[in-house]
Amino acid sequence: MIIVIGAGPAGLAAAEAAARNGSDVALIDSAPRIGGQYWRHRTEVSGYRSDRAEALFTKIRASRSITYISEASVWSIERDGTLIRVNYLQGTTESSLTAEKLIIATGAYDRSLPFPGWNQPGSMTPGAAQALYKGHGVLAGKRIVVAGTGPFLLPVATALAEAGVEIVGLYEAHSPLRWALSPVALIFNLSKFAELIYYWRLLAKHGIRPQFGQVVTSFADGRATISHVDSDFQVKGKRAQTVEVDAVAVGWGFLPDLTLGGIAGCRQRVVSDGTTVFDVDRNQLSSQPNVWIAGEATGIGGADLSLLEGEIAGLAASGHEIPSRLRIKRYAKELFAQALSRSYPIRDGWKSWSNEETVICRCEEVTLANIKESVVELGAEDSRTAKLFTRAGMGLCQGRVCSRNVAEIVAGLTGCSVSDEERIASSNRPIAAPISLGLLGDGKK
Amino acid sequence: MSEKISFTFNGIQVQCEPGQSIAAAVINTGTLSLRTTRFGEEPRSIFCGIGICFDCVVVVDGVANQRACLVTAQSGMKVESRS
Repeated sequence: MIIVIGAGPAGLAAAEAAARNGSDVALIDSAPRIGGQYWRHRTEVSGYRSDRAEALFTKIRASRSITYISEASVWSIERDGTLIRVNYLQGTTESSLTAEKLIIATGAYDRSLPFPGWNQPGSMTPGAAQALYKGHGVLAGKRIVVAGTGPFLLPVATALAEAGVEIVGLYEAHSPLRWALSPVALIFNLSKFAELIYYWRLLAKHGIRPQFGQVVTSFADGRATISHVDSDFQVKGKRAQTVEVDAVAVGWGFLPDLTLGGIAGCRQRVVSDGTTVFDVDRNQLSSQPNVWIAGEATGIGGADLSLLEGEIAGLAASGHEIPSRLRIKRYAKELFAQALSRSYPIRDGWKSWSNEETVICRCEEVTLANIKESVVELGAEDSRTAKLFTRAGMGLCQGRVCSRNVAEIVAGLTGCSVSDEERIASSNRPIAAPISLGLLGDGKK
Repeated sequence: MSEKISFTFNGIQVQCEPGQSIAAAVINTGTLSLRTTRFGEEPRSIFCGIGICFDCVVVVDGVANQRACLVTAQSGMKVESRS
């Protein structure tokens, strides 16, 4: 049997490919319905090329070889001889599954950067605003600003507008001219122009004009400040404007969810933009025998790349040859992924948006002043020491939201750059979700 | 239409559709704040919306640290900002 963790594009493609080739598959996911974040839905998937989702869903539902386990939160993975055991919680009930092979497709989550007021209710990630609407039919507000960087701002702004939200502004920090840096990637991905036109039409329909080179630099009591920034994200000029909004949805691309692969002992590497991802071979096999990883956890590349990686992982895990057409397609999508990181880089200027009182670690309420004190007064020379002094990154989220930002801030103060070891160490977590000691004791057999 | 779900949030009755999360149900009533922080006692609501950030944690039927964005609202639930 093959266990697939995650029912987003990569996990679904992996499960379908493995089942098609004769393997029994257990598909585990934390959500009540398949689709992941990208194809989140209540009754049916909406948005660009939603027909692909429906086609895949139909195959998954029709397959007798796939057992789907929903609302299951995997909290640990362990080896049992040659077998792999996956422990998960459904509510407060603990269960486990054992199989010879494991495919991890845990996806990614929005990357956030701090600014004054980012911890106020109403400030959220674009993913949160999207999930609230697509998963639950609830709008985060009547008037919303969508901001940050990256193409994901387009589906969020257009989906909210279609749902009746007034998009007060759509602010992209970078210039679209940065795409000129990636002509080859664009030539190999001409279908992306169709996607762009799809969103452009929706923006025009709702009268939304994207503004470039602008960011949200503060949010408080229903007022957001929008500032112009240069290409290093430094605020320039004094042309900041204030807009009245119910919510701001601000996101800075995505971070791979490394938690479960890390628990399984899969080796990680740091890519050129500083993001930690899993190191996999050309068949999506990780450093651990019989553990494959597909989708955003091996590098941010979008749903098209995730579908291909999932299919390759599913074929490889079920012992099949990988057709070269899949590898070629994957290569084209990898070029596009590289172009994404070239077009929407996160620049150091974000550190100047915070003031001394700005909370950097949301869980432990650690401010910029606290982190500065740990470096300047207490002599912390790296983010690990700063974390021990301030508790930044030691709260319930285990640093998923702030650890990269804390490391960058400490590096800026000490004049060093963040080492790859530091980046990888900060994603190492012993347990994926909080579990009571009682369950931990009872669950074991 | 399916039956409405009814639960309490800090003692106040909240109604929602079956399948909606606690966070979605409460936010739909116009209340954004789901809890206050330990040190600064500042209000917090959903932030990541997908179970990563733990900013929306509430007490559900006496069980602490439940992510309101993930837990599906059930009739009769007693949800509180703090235990």
